[in-house]
Amino acid sequence: MGNRVMLVERDRLMLEKLTQVVQGTNGFELVARYQSVSDALGQGTIFNPNLILLDIEAQNSVALIADFLKVYPKAAILCMGEKWKAESASHIVQAGARGYIIKPFTGLELQEAVDTFVKLGTEAGCETLVFFSPKGKSGKTTLIANLATALARKTHEQVGIIDADLQFGDMSVFFNLAPKTTIVEAARDAKFLSPVTLHSYFMPVMQNVSVLCGTATPNLIDKVSIRRLENIISMSRSLFRYLLIDVPPGFNPTSIAAAEQSNTTFLVSMINDAYEIDHMKRALEIFKDWEDYQERVKAIFTRVEPCNSQSQQELARQLGYPVTAIIPNEYGIVSDAADNGKMATDIRPDSPLAQSVDRLADEITGRGHRIRWSAS
Amino acid sequence: MLELEKEVNGVVITFFSTASAVGKTLISCNMASELARQGKSVCLVDYDLQFGDVCNYLQLLPKNTIADVQRGFTLQGDTCHVEEYLTPYEYRGVLFYVMAAPRKLEEAYNIKTDYAIKAIRQLQLKFDYVIVDTTSMFSVLNLDLLDLSTIVTFLGIVDFIPTIKNMKIGRNTLNELNYDRQKLWLVLNRSNAKTRISIDDVEKLLGEKFYHILPNDFRAASQSIKDGIPLVLKQEHTELGEALRDLVLRYTNQGQMDFEEDHVEDVGTSWLSRIFS
Repeated sequence: MGNRVMLVERDRLMLEKLTQVVQGTNGFELVARYQSVSDALGQGTIFNPNLILLDIEAQNSVALIADFLKVYPKAAILCMGEKWKAESASHIVQAGARGYIIKPFTGLELQEAVDTFVKLGTEAGCETLVFFSPKGKSGKTTLIANLATALARKTHEQVGIIDADLQFGDMSVFFNLAPKTTIVEAARDAKFLSPVTLHSYFMPVMQNVSVLCGTATPNLIDKVSIRRLENIISMSRSLFRYLLIDVPPGFNPTSIAAAEQSNTTFLVSMINDAYEIDHMKRALEIFKDWEDYQERVKAIFTRVEPCNSQSQQELARQLGYPVTAIIPNEYGIVSDAADNGKMATDIRPDSPLAQSVDRLADEITGRGHRIRWSAS
Repeated sequence: MLELEKEVNGVVITFFSTASAVGKTLISCNMASELARQGKSVCLVDYDLQFGDVCNYLQLLPKNTIADVQRGFTLQGDTCHVEEYLTPYEYRGVLFYVMAAPRKLEEAYNIKTDYAIKAIRQLQLKFDYVIVDTTSMFSVLNLDLLDLSTIVTFLGIVDFIPTIKNMKIGRNTLNELNYDRQKLWLVLNRSNAKTRISIDDVEKLLGEKFYHILPNDFRAASQSIKDGIPLVLKQEHTELGEALRDLVLRYTNQGQMDFEEDHVEDVGTSWLSRIFS
């Protein structure tokens, strides 16, 4: 099943360039090309394209996409532009386009773009989950790593992890990675990247899970500007069905920027018989500034003993806010896993730790309710 | 009777770490207590601005915080006297003063580093010892504190690999920042906690021995937190309390500092070395 491509590009020279690329790439057949949008809309149906490469520079992209979808309901639309613009990205995806590619592109980039956006499935849309903790040693890195693998396992969808800790990113240790590229390089190159090329900065760690590692040495000065970080996050949303972001503890430009971009922000703290609940309460007060905080902000406690529903309710009572999940104290498994670059839930998939992570994954994917009815 | 303004700047000891939850607050509070118990004039400063626990631990309700000091500096300039914004802590005749972290998170977020440092400089003129509790990252404030401190106590614990890695990175970064070696003291907390990694391994990795080692005594530490009484001030003797007193003795016996620059061999084939290859 080849790609039957229709090119729609105003600029004559660019059109020629892209024509040669498409014609020269295996698996792609150029069935039609137009400089004029009206011509493309009026005349192209005879050729039955299934992939439309649509120039959206200086156009009302949302309206344009809508028009093309009306005429070509079965085609996948990839928008083309000269550089990545974060604001347009979410609009075009919401308007019905599959994705975005920067022009001019090579055959390889075209193939990658098609692979990437086809893998996303028909539901465009990424759930961005940010994990915030008031202080360090919250258990959130362990949680993120194990949760990501659980989500990938259950849904078979692409899951991405961004380690946005710009001084002490731990994700690479948890997954036993020696990354060639980290978030610092991604931020440095962000101006020239599009989602497809950003993807190469992520390291695949297992089936359907990729990690953009944190920095290897502490950022003493800001090598990663917040705008670039936001760019990276929004580009990554086109690549994954679930995007999990680890941020440094406390309120800082990084954690705030990430939380603002989240669908859900998890507040995570470890029970240590100290002042964790106080800290969570203080942090929660800040997040209550969001109008939709009740849907968007969830509380999680780790190292809970005993790990049962009474404890959960008691914590919720003390916190004055629902507690979405509690993770048990399994220091032995967790440290064993981290010391060996394995996942705790892989070492002991039957453990209470694995079960609690699984429950959280079910809740995130919305399967919590459906489990009783689903046959699979 | 004339009250002579001290001409000598007091000692500033900053407790810093790059691993989280190592015990900075517990240790700094106990250090302040012990120094005060020995008759020194002490001010304990909580620069874990957003989520500091000094007042939690000491069960203090401060009337003023560093946020008020900042307001004072802004409105009154140099006529603002920081010592008027301190909260006293008193237990069984032992007295020291606390500069509390801001009450509100918004205030914490807006503390200017320059004012925070200015406050320490003023306190240095008024007290024998200024003890500072911090966060575990290389923030602008912490970097300035590291510059200004007489002694930086770099705290670590033996935990799992991510923690050790962060300690190592922190130590390397401190090396690169070129602080006087005499000023950086490596202290290990919770040394005999049940972890899979040995102190020897960690020392090899860091390339130096720990200056002082504190034992793990979770029960005593938790009780101290519950009671709001620093271990060194309690009637009962605990292993941890004794070790804390010893640490303070080493700090105050500066002439007898037996700081050995032990050049420990680099890691080589240690199994921990793979994470730093």
